Amino acid sequence: MDLKSASAGPVTKLPRPNADPLWYKDAVIYELHPRAFNDSNGDGIGDFPGLLQRLDYVQDLGVTAIWLLPFYPSPLKDGGYDISDYTGINPSYGTLDDFRDFLGEAHRRGLRVITELVINHTSDQHPWFQEARSSRDNPRRNWYVWSDTDDRYRGVRIIFKDTELSNWSWDPISKSYYWHRFFSHQPDLNFDNPAVREEMWKVMQFWADMGVDGFRVDAVPYLVEREGTSCENLPETHEVVKFLRRRLDDKYPDRFLLAEANQWPIDVRPYFGDGDEFHMAFHFPLMPRMFMAVKLEDRKPIIDILQQTPDIPENCQWGIFLRNHDELTLEMVSDEERDYMYDMYAIDAGARLNLGIRRRLAPLMDNDRRRLELMNGMLMSLPGSPVLYYGDEIGMGDNMFLGDRNGVRTPMQWNGAWNAGFSAADPERLYLPLLSNPVYGYQTVNVEAQRRSGHSLLSWMKTLIRVRKSSRAFSRGRIEFVQPRNHRVFAYIRQLGNDRVLVVNNLSRTAQAVELDLKVFEGYIPIEMFGGNPFPRIGPLPYLLTLGPYHFYWFRLRRL
Amino acid sequence: MPRKQPRLGWQVPLAEETFLSDDFVSQLTAVGEVDILVGLPTLNNRDTVQRIVNAIIVGLVKYYPRERSVLINPDGGSKDGTSEAVQAASIPDFRAVLAANPLRTMHVVRAQYAGVRGHNEALRMLFAAADLLGAKACALFSPDLESVTPEWLDALVRPVLKDGHDLVAPVYQRRRFDGLLVKNMLHPLIRAAYGYQVEEPVGREVAFSGRLASYFLGDESRREDFPGLGAYAWMTTAAMAGGYRVCQAYLGPRLAESRRSALDLNTAIQEIGGALFRCMELHQSYWISRQGCEEVPTFGFQPVLDLDPVRIDRRRMYQMFRTGVDQLGSILEKILSSETLQAVAEISKAEERHFSFPDDLWAKTVFEFASSYHHSAINRDHLLQALTPLYRGRVSSFISENARAGAEEVERKLQLLAQEYERLKPYLVERWNRET
Repeated sequence: MDLKSASAGPVTKLPRPNADPLWYKDAVIYELHPRAFNDSNGDGIGDFPGLLQRLDYVQDLGVTAIWLLPFYPSPLKDGGYDISDYTGINPSYGTLDDFRDFLGEAHRRGLRVITELVINHTSDQHPWFQEARSSRDNPRRNWYVWSDTDDRYRGVRIIFKDTELSNWSWDPISKSYYWHRFFSHQPDLNFDNPAVREEMWKVMQFWADMGVDGFRVDAVPYLVEREGTSCENLPETHEVVKFLRRRLDDKYPDRFLLAEANQWPIDVRPYFGDGDEFHMAFHFPLMPRMFMAVKLEDRKPIIDILQQTPDIPENCQWGIFLRNHDELTLEMVSDEERDYMYDMYAIDAGARLNLGIRRRLAPLMDNDRRRLELMNGMLMSLPGSPVLYYGDEIGMGDNMFLGDRNGVRTPMQWNGAWNAGFSAADPERLYLPLLSNPVYGYQTVNVEAQRRSGHSLLSWMKTLIRVRKSSRAFSRGRIEFVQPRNHRVFAYIRQLGNDRVLVVNNLSRTAQAVELDLKVFEGYIPIEMFGGNPFPRIGPLPYLLTLGPYHFYWFRLRRL
Repeated sequence: MPRKQPRLGWQVPLAEETFLSDDFVSQLTAVGEVDILVGLPTLNNRDTVQRIVNAIIVGLVKYYPRERSVLINPDGGSKDGTSEAVQAASIPDFRAVLAANPLRTMHVVRAQYAGVRGHNEALRMLFAAADLLGAKACALFSPDLESVTPEWLDALVRPVLKDGHDLVAPVYQRRRFDGLLVKNMLHPLIRAAYGYQVEEPVGREVAFSGRLASYFLGDESRREDFPGLGAYAWMTTAAMAGGYRVCQAYLGPRLAESRRSALDLNTAIQEIGGALFRCMELHQSYWISRQGCEEVPTFGFQPVLDLDPVRIDRRRMYQMFRTGVDQLGSILEKILSSETLQAVAEISKAEERHFSFPDDLWAKTVFEFASSYHHSAINRDHLLQALTPLYRGRVSSFISENARAGAEEVERKLQLLAQEYERLKPYLVERWNRET
């Protein structure tokens, strides 16, 4: 099936927010799954009409963009990353018209919408694969990667070690092996075939024409395979990206591409190209090091990785995050660091999955409000566009006993009423059970309760985002580390032109004193950004600050 | 520089002298709470110190990657660039050494102490730092060894950190006839008096717990200026007398950078022997009533390498003994009992090939010197000087009798000597308590 016969129907172009073409550099992104956010029809599964009803909440939170996890027709064996129709909407979540309505309302509120582009593989239920496996002569046969033996590309690592033994699986219908870097039900597309590239471009056009603002491109490093290589980050993969970017720029100049490439910064850097590949890429190695730094009470891990992070083109940006829909990945750490992370954050072996930890932010921080604030404070002040995972803004918990990564994908907790206000269905019909324990259960942790308190985590997060957006030094400024003797204090200057922000984080569970060498800012007045209070003018001597446990300061440095 | 704290009148009635410099305190404040503190006092050790710093840091990263640690280098005013060498010591890429990078910041704190006052002052700074930083385990290293490896750090620290011991004394692999002052006098005297079988009671590579560091800091006896290495004898005996858990750990060969760094015999006896006699006074309420002698746990892997013996001019030692006994008769009369003096005089008349300074006579001699020191029979410095020729006699005799003995046989003989000290402890107590 190609797009002419897809379930899409005619595309309606919607008005989109007018903004700077570099809007993504200032974005604060909110990641959610329509399935998990709000159920409008009482079937126990969240949907686009339900999401639309909650857009006021998203807008009020202060984020500027919504990243939607896969909502396409799918057997749902991998959270929707096993797509069986690229231009449809999974009926459980609504229709294309529902999506259009949602998109229009999001844009009316100034919210950008980013969707998933899972191009490395399809579901084995996708009609393309069904055709390809039907016979070796089928025109779609070459859309996937086939082999008569399973010894090609030997030595290429297996990503889902817990479930897969090989990157090849036997297809009993066409009696040959097909290549898959992820689950065996997700055959890899063959990007050496120009027809596949053209088809993917058509998919992008479909959604871009509708008004989608950007695409988060899944599993980028694995698009192309070559014998004798790791089959990751190959030059041919960059050619595919450049091809798609070129087309996108020509026709939709204000849209953006976001790379999911779980690699070291030096290996991710090529995905920015000369500003002609991805606009943004996730900085995966930074995330575990933020957790490590807080546990070690030492800034070293963060500074180490940021110092290893190369400069990127002016029109590019990092995407940074604390938690997302996957496990807290520990692929980009050393064995010692991984052991440390497991021992500190996943003593319960049930929390470990693949090379990671399947937990949400609040449980990882022992529900310690001060640590939650510190982590979010760093997220909002380090270089890059921050991504918030739905529910973390209210400190939602998890349920590691739900299997795979479902424990961090439970329904959004709106209030303490029936099904947490998520759905009118019988609780047994919910796509996943709600959290109900006394600490993280919806009766305790929910939006409604936190809205009523100006001191709730939700209220605090809104303030944090508002203050973050008050200075472009955070989103576009360069970073310079102030390295005081006290290694428990992580301090840096964010600077864009004359807009200068001093950030001072206490990574320790105990109060700390720190002397900052701010001689170059002698005469400036630090103005605390949350309260607007001026602090003593910076003089020639080291600037002394004291910080409570896990406390942080953001100061705007003013020359007055 | 250390300075007096200003008096604030009645509000601070117990104002104490501050002895840590502002800069040192500032550096410690930046480090904060630690699990492991390593002290490396230096004084003109440029040639060896970098390697030792690197061995310590590798040891910390390799064996204690998760623990918070600090290396503190109190320097006594080196003129040879030691401080710069410590500062320059670095491991640019740990992956080449350990195939892993450290998780944490490595802290190296440098400070000055008044070198003329010896190790006492450096140790005082380290005890204060350990107390201030809440260190769980502390280790000390001497700055002039060629043989320190990262494993030494683990061997010393592990019994404290993992097994709750308070003091870890080293066990070195010694060359035959090396460390004879320790083996013929210090070890057996402490063993007999304090009741602990610690092989190297004045080792400079030693570890202790944070609570023992706090005890050392607060112990009034610390305020005495134990000269030079005497402070190490005080640490060991104070821990024993304080009821702290003592153990020892195999380290390996102790190969000093240069024999020049070794003390001459007179100074060694003055510093270490004098300190030990003084400690016996300080701790007399403990050791006089102490019964029996217990082995202490020994951790680590015992090496069996048979090292070349140390060359000692036995004949010269013998001659210096005879001359000493001959010339110091009037002084020895005031120190030794008439029976002991007579026996010493007797053996000094023997021809070299028949010369022997037997174990029981040597043990009595040492006990009588200790008691006379206690009773201040004569000026204490003169007393210690008078001990030197007698010790030379003992060494000459010991080497002569063991010239052809293997390492095991020498060890057996030393055990017999120690047992003789133990057997004669009542004699020590009697001499010690005798009214003068």
